[in-house]
Amino acid sequence: MKYSLLVLSAPDTGSGNLTAVRFAESLVAQGHKLYRVFFLDRGAATGLSSAVVPQDEQNVSDLWASLAEQHGAELILCIASALRQGVLDDSEAARYEHPSSTLLPGFEIGGLGLLVEALAESDRLLTFGG
Amino acid sequence: MLLHTLNSTPQSSATRDCCSLIGNQDAVILFGDGVYCALVGSNSSDALTASGAVIYALAADVDAAGIATRLSDQVSIIDYAEFVAISEKYPRQMAWY
Amino acid sequence: MSETIKNTTLLIFRQPPYTSSLSRSGLDTALAAGAFEQPVSLLFLSEGLLQLLPQQDSSGLGKRNHGKVLTSLPLYDLETLWVDAESLDELGFGLSDLPEGARLADRKLIEEMLASHDHVVAF
Repeated sequence: MKYSLLVLSAPDTGSGNLTAVRFAESLVAQGHKLYRVFFLDRGAATGLSSAVVPQDEQNVSDLWASLAEQHGAELILCIASALRQGVLDDSEAARYEHPSSTLLPGFEIGGLGLLVEALAESDRLLTFGG
Repeated sequence: MLLHTLNSTPQSSATRDCCSLIGNQDAVILFGDGVYCALVGSNSSDALTASGAVIYALAADVDAAGIATRLSDQVSIIDYAEFVAISEKYPRQMAWY
Repeated sequence: MSETIKNTTLLIFRQPPYTSSLSRSGLDTALAAGAFEQPVSLLFLSEGLLQLLPQQDSSGLGKRNHGKVLTSLPLYDLETLWVDAESLDELGFGLSDLPEGARLADRKLIEEMLASHDHVVAF
C-alpha cells in the first residue's frame, strides 16, 4: 500500500514527530511503499542541521535521515515553514545572504504542491501533530 | 470506518471533540498524552469505551507514562507494527492532537 | 501531477486564527489544493470557526490578516465553507456573522463528510 505522512510537530516537543518516524520505519519494514513525508508548520524544524540534541536523548531527525538514506524515503520540508524556522538549503542561504545551509542531508525543501500531489497519489495519508 | 488517532490530554478540546465524533465502526489509537484518556474510571475512558469503537494504546507511551496497570480493560496495547496494520484496515485517519 | 487520480480530501480546521501558525498552514494547504485543482472540502470544526469572523484586524499583532486570506479562497473555486453548527451556537454566533459561502453542518453531516472523502487532514 502506498503511504504518505504529514508531520506537523517539531522534533523536540510532544509525541507526534517521534511516533511518525517509528510508524514510517515500521511501514517500510512491512513492505509498504513510503511515497513521501511532508513536514509542515513546526514539523519543518525536523530538517534543521544546527539543532543539538542531548547525548542521552534520541535524535529524531537522525532517525528520519536514516530512513532517507536506507530506503530512499522522500523527506520534504515546506519552504515557507522551513524559512520561518531557520532551515535554509544552499540556494535559500544564498538568497537571504546567510553564511551557509542549515539543511540536514536527506531532507529537501519544497512547496505545498508536493503535499497536494501526495494526497492525490497515496492510498493512505496519516497526519501527525501535537 | 475512520481511524482516529488521539495524542492530547483527557481534558483537552481535541479529546472532547474526538469523543463526540467517534462512530461504532471506528477505531481509536491513543498515543503520546492521549494514553491518559484510557485511565480506568476517567470520564474520557468512559466516553471512549461507550462509543463502541475499538480502542488501542501505543505501548511505548503507556510504559513511559507508567499507567499499564491503570488502563481500562477495553483497551488493547499495540506496538508500531500493529499501528501500521490497523491503518491498512481503515481507509482514512483523523488526527486529534 | 497525475491527471487521472482524483482523491478527495476533507480539510478540517480546529484552531483559532492567531494561537499558532497551524491555522495559516491549513489555509495554505487549501489554497495549494485549489491551485492544483485537486478536490477538497473545507470544514471549520469547534473553535476553528473563529477563523471565519469577518472583522479581524491583526495589524496590532504584526501578522497577516487571516480573515483576508480566507477571502481569496473563491479565487481557487473553494466557495463553500462548512461550519460546525453545534459549536457556532455554543460560541454565541449565528450564520449571519460569517462570510458568504459559510454553510451549517450538523453532526450527522460532519460524520457523512468524514466517511465520504478519501483523505482527512486536520489542522
